Amino acid sequence: MGCSSSVPDRASGRSGGLNPENNAADSKNLRVKLVLLGDSGVGKSCIVLRFVRGQFDPTSKVTVGASFLSQTIALQDSTTVKFEIWDTAGQERYAALAPLYYRGAAVAVIVYDITSSDSFAKAQYWVKELQKHGSPDIILALVGNKADLQEKRKVSVQDGTEYAEKNGMFFIETSAKTADNINELFEEIAKRLPRPTSS
Amino acid sequence: MSSGLSSLSSSDELDNFNPRTSPTTPPKPLEEELASLALTLPHPHLLSDQEDANGVSDGSEADSNGLGIQQSDEEMRVGEVCEENVVGNSASMVQEPTGGSDGAGVVWGRTNSEIEVDRPASPSSSGYAGERGSSSASSGRSEMDGVAEDEIQELRDDDASIGENSNSVPSWVPGKRHGDEDDASISWRKRKKHFFILSHSGKPIYSRYGDEHKLAGFSASLQAIISFVEDGGDRVKWVKAGKHQVVFLVKGPIYLVCISCTEEPYESLRGQLELIYGQMILILTKSVNRCFERNPKFDMTSLLGGTDVVFSSLIHSFGWNPATFLHAYTCLPLAYGTRQAAGAILQDVADSGILFAILMCKHKVISLVGAQKASLHPDDMVLLANFVMSSESFRMSESFSPICLPRYNPMAFLYAYVHYFDVNTYLMLLTTNSDSFYHLKECRIRIETVLLKSNVLSEVQRSMLDGGMHVEDVPVDSLPRYRTISPHLGQQRAPSEFPERFKESYAGMGGPGGLWHFIYRSIYLDQYVSSEFSSPVSSRQQQKRLYRAYQNIYASMHDKEIGPHKTQFRRDENYVLLCWVTQDFELYAAFDPLADKALAIKICNRVCQWIKDVENEVFLLGASPFSW
Repeated sequence: MGCSSSVPDRASGRSGGLNPENNAADSKNLRVKLVLLGDSGVGKSCIVLRFVRGQFDPTSKVTVGASFLSQTIALQDSTTVKFEIWDTAGQERYAALAPLYYRGAAVAVIVYDITSSDSFAKAQYWVKELQKHGSPDIILALVGNKADLQEKRKVSVQDGTEYAEKNGMFFIETSAKTADNINELFEEIAKRLPRPTSS
Repeated sequence: MSSGLSSLSSSDELDNFNPRTSPTTPPKPLEEELASLALTLPHPHLLSDQEDANGVSDGSEADSNGLGIQQSDEEMRVGEVCEENVVGNSASMVQEPTGGSDGAGVVWGRTNSEIEVDRPASPSSSGYAGERGSSSASSGRSEMDGVAEDEIQELRDDDASIGENSNSVPSWVPGKRHGDEDDASISWRKRKKHFFILSHSGKPIYSRYGDEHKLAGFSASLQAIISFVEDGGDRVKWVKAGKHQVVFLVKGPIYLVCISCTEEPYESLRGQLELIYGQMILILTKSVNRCFERNPKFDMTSLLGGTDVVFSSLIHSFGWNPATFLHAYTCLPLAYGTRQAAGAILQDVADSGILFAILMCKHKVISLVGAQKASLHPDDMVLLANFVMSSESFRMSESFSPICLPRYNPMAFLYAYVHYFDVNTYLMLLTTNSDSFYHLKECRIRIETVLLKSNVLSEVQRSMLDGGMHVEDVPVDSLPRYRTISPHLGQQRAPSEFPERFKESYAGMGGPGGLWHFIYRSIYLDQYVSSEFSSPVSSRQQQKRLYRAYQNIYASMHDKEIGPHKTQFRRDENYVLLCWVTQDFELYAAFDPLADKALAIKICNRVCQWIKDVENEVFLLGASPFSW
C-alpha cells in the first residue's frame, strides 16, 4: 500500500477526496498504519481480532492476502490513535508481496509463536527484511504470542528480550486466547509514536 | 411466435429463444402450441430426425428402440473406442491403484446413473421404485463426493461392508479430510474419487485424501506412468483399470491425476482437472513454472500452504455446482430494476479504473461489470467465487489479496478487494493496481450506500429465501404468461394463477408431465438458470446423481468425435433425461422415469417459453464482460 497516514495521491482515484478520512491527523488524533508480519499460524489474526473486536476464535482461519481492520484507542493524555491494521497472510507465497503491505507503515508488529522455534526464526527474517526495506523510522515490535501455552514453550522470554533489545525493538509476550497483554501491546505502541510537531 | 421443439429446424424461430429479445412478446395461442405438438408426436425420434440426420448419438439410438432403458452396451462401446486412443496395453500398466476389491465380471449399471455397486441389471421399474422408496431414508446420509453414490436402499446394505467407514456426515465440512491416511490405508484405497497434483519430478503437491508427504511413493508411480509414455513420444490421456479410471492432465511441469470409480466420462474428469489446475494458477499464477526451471525438484507444497480448503471446496462443488461443467455462471433471480440498480453503481465505480466489479450472493451473480475490452471467463468466475467463499478470512474483514484469473492472464496477479455485506453477499473489486486499496475501499462504501438505499441487499435476501424457478410453476395452461411476471419470481406462485388441482396432482412428484428439474444455458450470455430441486430429487445424493447424469449427457452432447448433437432423449431406471441444444441455448431436463415422451417434449417447450418470459429476472442481460 502506498497509502499510509499521509495524504494519498493516487492517479487512479476519483476526483477529489479519494479517502477523506485519510487526511493528515492533527496532534490529538493520530492515524497510523500498522502491519503484522510473521509465520503462518502464529496468531496474527487472533491478536488483531482480540484487539479490534474482543473476540477469540480457536478455529484457525487462514488469512488470504491481507485483511484490513481499524481500531481507535484513547490514551491518557486524551489523544486518540486510530490504528489501520494490515493483517498479512503468513504463507510463504505471500512473502514476496509483503512490501505491498508494509510499505509506508509506521509500525510493524512481528509475531512469533513461543511454542515454535521455527516461527522465531521466521520473525528474525522479517526483522531483517524490514530493517532493509521498511521505512527508516518504522517502529518495530516483537511479539511472542500464545503465552498461555507455557508448558509447550520453545522460545524463552530471555531469547525474545535479547533479540528485541539488540535490534532496538519493543518486546512483549501476549495471549490472544486469554487477551493477556493484547491491549498493552497496542497502548505501548501508541505511546511510542512520534507526535506531530505542527498545530 | 412458435416455441415448439418441433419447429427448431427453422433458425429464425430458434432466434426467438435468444434471451436478448424482448421479454414482452405476447403469449402464443394454445392452439398453435397444440398444433406444433401434433407435429411432434408422430416422430419416434423425438427431434433428431428433423434436425440432424447424422445425429447418431447415444440418445437417438436409445430413442430408436422406443424406451432407452438399457444403454449400458452402447456406453461400453463408446468406452472401448476411447480406450483405443490410450496408449497400448495401458490397463495392465496400472496396478489397481485404489484397491481392486470390486468384483469383476459383474454387470454394473453403466447408464448415466450412479449405481456404483455391483448388481445385476435391473428393469427400470424396479429401479424406479427403489429410488422412491429410498428417498427419505437416504436423505439423512449426505456424503462427500464419491462416498454414497448408491442411493438404492437395498443395495446400500450390501455396499456397507466395502463402503466408507466414516458415513453419515450430515453436511459437508470444508478442509482436508482423512489427512492421516496414505496409500497403504484401506480406507484411502476405497475412496471413490482421488485427485492429485504432482510435479514432473514426481513430488506430491496436493492430494485430496491423505498426507501429501506420505504419498511421495505413490506420486512417483504416477509420474513414472506419465513419463514412460512421454518417453515413447506419446501422451497418456487415461487408463482404465477394472472399475477405475485414471485420467491424466499434463500442464508443463505440473501433472494432475484423477483416479475415480464414479463412472463419470473422461471429458468430465478432465474438465475437473482443468479447473483444479486453474484454481492453482489463481493462487500462484503460472509463473510458478519458473521455480521448476530453476530447480526441477522444487517442492511446491509449501507454496500452497493453507489452501487445502480451497481445493476441497472446489472438488466438492463438482458434485453440486453445474457451473463446473457447463462453463457458464448463474444469477440470483432478481427483479430487473433491482439488478439494474446494482449494475449501475458497479458500472459507476468500474469507470474509475477497476477491471472487474462483481457482486455475488454465494455462487450466484447479482451483477457484474468489467472495464472496456476486459472479459471475464465463466470458469474464472467459478474459481474466484470458490476461492473467496472457501477462505473464511474474507468474512472476517475487508481484504486485499493478489489473485490471478487464469483465463484472463495466467501470468499476472490482479488485486482483489473483497468485502462481505452480509453472510452470503460479497463484493469483489479487481484491479491491476496494487496500490489502490484505499480507492477500492472508498468505492465499496459508495456501492454499499447505494445498495442499501435502493434496497438491493434486502431484495437479495428475499430472493435467497424465495428461491428461483420451481418446476411446479411451469405454466401448463393458456393463462397469459406475461401476467405472471412479478417483481420477484416467487410471487408468481400465487394460488389464483395456478389451478389448485395441478398442485395437488403434482405434489411430491415434481412439476407437470413428471418434470423434476431443468437447467437452461444461454449460449450468448454464458449463463445458465436451473430450477430448484423438486421433491423427487430432494436429497443431496439424488441431486448429485442428477448432476452426474447431466454431466454425462453434457459430455455426450459435446463429444467431438460422435457429436455435437442437437437432441437426446434418454430413459433409464432413474430418469428421463431430455437434452436440446440449439445455437442459442441448451436445455437439460430431468423427468420421472415413467414420463410420457410427447408430454415431456411439450413441457420442455413450456420451460423454454417460461424462461424467455422471465429472462430479465433470471439472467444478467447486457453484461459487457462476456461479449467478446
